[in-house]
Amino acid sequence: MLESPVTAPGRGTFTRGIHPFEGKELAADAPIEVLPTPKQLLLPVLQHIGAPAKPPPKLDKDAVAGKEIAGPGGFVSAPVHASVTGKVGKIVRVTLPNGRHVDAVAITPDPEQPTPDELYAAVLGGDWPATDLPEHEPGAIADAVKRAGIVGMGGAAFPTHVKLASNPAKPVDVVLVNGCECEPYLTADYRVMLEAPRGIVAGALLAARAAGAKAVVVAVETNKPRAIEALRTAARGTIATVKELETKYPMGGEKQTVPAALGRTIPTGGLPLDVGVVVINVGTALAIARAVLREQPVTHRVVTVTGHGVHAPKNLLVPIGAPYADLVAAAGGLRKDAVRVVSGGPMMGFAVADLSVPVTKGTSGITVLTRSDLAVAEQTACVRCGRCVDVCPLGLVPTKLALAARKSIWDVARRYHITACMECGCCAYTCPASIPLVQLIRMGKARLPRG
Amino acid sequence: MSAITITLLLAAFTLLAMAVVMGTILGVANKVFHVPVDVRLERVAASLPGANCGACDYVGCGEYAEAILVKGEAITKCPVGGPAVASAVGEIMGVSVEEAFPVRPVVHCAATTAQRLKQTPYHGEQTCNAANLVGGIQGCVYGCLGLGDCVAVCDYDAIHMIDGVAVIDYIKCIGCGACVKACPRNIISQVPFKADRILAVQCANKDFGKEVQEVCEVGCTGCKSCARANPDLISVVDNLPVFDYTKYDPRMSLQVIQDKCRRESMVWLGKPTPTELALAANETMPARQEAEFKTTVDQTEWRG
Repeated sequence: MLESPVTAPGRGTFTRGIHPFEGKELAADAPIEVLPTPKQLLLPVLQHIGAPAKPPPKLDKDAVAGKEIAGPGGFVSAPVHASVTGKVGKIVRVTLPNGRHVDAVAITPDPEQPTPDELYAAVLGGDWPATDLPEHEPGAIADAVKRAGIVGMGGAAFPTHVKLASNPAKPVDVVLVNGCECEPYLTADYRVMLEAPRGIVAGALLAARAAGAKAVVVAVETNKPRAIEALRTAARGTIATVKELETKYPMGGEKQTVPAALGRTIPTGGLPLDVGVVVINVGTALAIARAVLREQPVTHRVVTVTGHGVHAPKNLLVPIGAPYADLVAAAGGLRKDAVRVVSGGPMMGFAVADLSVPVTKGTSGITVLTRSDLAVAEQTACVRCGRCVDVCPLGLVPTKLALAARKSIWDVARRYHITACMECGCCAYTCPASIPLVQLIRMGKARLPRG
Repeated sequence: MSAITITLLLAAFTLLAMAVVMGTILGVANKVFHVPVDVRLERVAASLPGANCGACDYVGCGEYAEAILVKGEAITKCPVGGPAVASAVGEIMGVSVEEAFPVRPVVHCAATTAQRLKQTPYHGEQTCNAANLVGGIQGCVYGCLGLGDCVAVCDYDAIHMIDGVAVIDYIKCIGCGACVKACPRNIISQVPFKADRILAVQCANKDFGKEVQEVCEVGCTGCKSCARANPDLISVVDNLPVFDYTKYDPRMSLQVIQDKCRRESMVWLGKPTPTELALAANETMPARQEAEFKTTVDQTEWRG
């Protein structure tokens, strides 16, 4: 048996953080189902961090599943592929849950579509060889990832090929596969780990080859014992190892996972690359495997539709561009007491006003909350209790940052490292005065003068 | 002489000697280090309004006056004073002024809360800057959010939220441009007012046709009717009519343009007309409530 050259000396946890209500039991045991093909899909040209994809001046009338419909708009960018076969309509404007107002290509699917079983087999099922991978050249892997339009599928949607691009100044020795899924309610990554563990391992090994890494560590929280077991079995005989991490929010954040799993601390304002680590989500790893081994781009992803506000919480395999309304309908529809639909999980997600918004590559879940889930309270003044400081996993002073942002005192905001905030929401969750700390810090980051 | 008198005289002479020496030094220094001050500076500063609003991009009127003299800064940069101040400064400086107009802000959104569609309740931080980063508060992603960041920065009480949209009071407005800088949606622009009332486009929605109608009852759909009525004056950029105010002339037949607008985006803005003032004069004001300064303590029944 091969032995990983890098043991994982991390102590399996990080300081501060919170233990919110998990709510994972709602959808954890629901196997991934295939969403019935929607009547219309909207493919936004900007589903990632970076430059928007550029559709050609004249769009083809027919879209073929897996064929590129908009090329990358720069180096930090990703192409967009048709997720179904059908007729291309015109370009419309959509407002994504994060507030971006972007162009989207409308596609009306043809009546004949692959059966759900075929789709499942194409994206998740079948065998994923974890051996014979050396026949793939590192450059070819990175190129396949770039062409497939793979972006971080954990939510931030950073183009993956940028992470894998070899940089002699910053060599990479570990690929860390992030299977923490610390966000409450969401179980999409969990189901992927259960149903396609070999695909994840294969993708991670390919990513390691592309980045020149000597070790692969898969980090999973202890509340997912079955996923740990499945991944251990899949990783047997490879350089990949599985590391169990304490169940704590936000364990899935890069600056928490890397120290917890590997014992390496990322400097403030730095990236995992600075300590020789590339972090990819389990969904991203699977997408890499699919792009390299099956030569298929990102056309589908697994989305959890959950919360007490839907009748039947589910994990769905959906084409990119499917409207939220279809996903909610597939999960039994909204219950009477549903009051808020959140794109993503309750901690970091964005409330959605209009269910016609499309699923993007970064959509990990749709959480529907009821009146009793929401803690609606009147905002009061900060009493300097320091609870936000106690829980901030990055060691920031959220109250200082938020109030500096509110009053536009930029030198204070900068001195207290406002840009280091990753908006995990621990501070706002714990604030007894119900101050919208994260929103204020977000605003501050957006308004902070350059330089 | 007693010891006290000697001490007093000693102190008095010492001080006198010091006064003479220092006075001489100061007198000489005044001659040697004399800085000639431009006599015009005081006059230019005096003819500026003294509002110190910063609209000219200088810290205050004094600094702007200095910039005019030293750096040769343009004399038409004071939007508050407008043509009167420009010509007064021009006289002092000996430059002739081309025709200048007061610059005033225009809010490019006219939709009241009721006219904006697809709204969802918003409970977050009640400022436009914060709300602008949240999607789905209202269907229109370009229009006024109505939370009043512009009202907060106005030092002249000249901009108010009326029915959820920012409305400028052109009687009070001095054109300092603070609201223009405060608006996170960038829907306030500075426009030269060549007459008391000018025609302006009150919409910022860059989408077209149906997409606009879905989110707003009054917004511009980009139909280009106005541009066809006067192609010289109006060009349509990103589905929005844009006035070329350099070509704008109050004597043009402008009413035609407004009549062409099928929505309510082409609006006359500026000081109220005599008719409007007359109408307002006829309105009966609500009866004034006089305070009653009697204490309630006497009637309080104390128990327990």
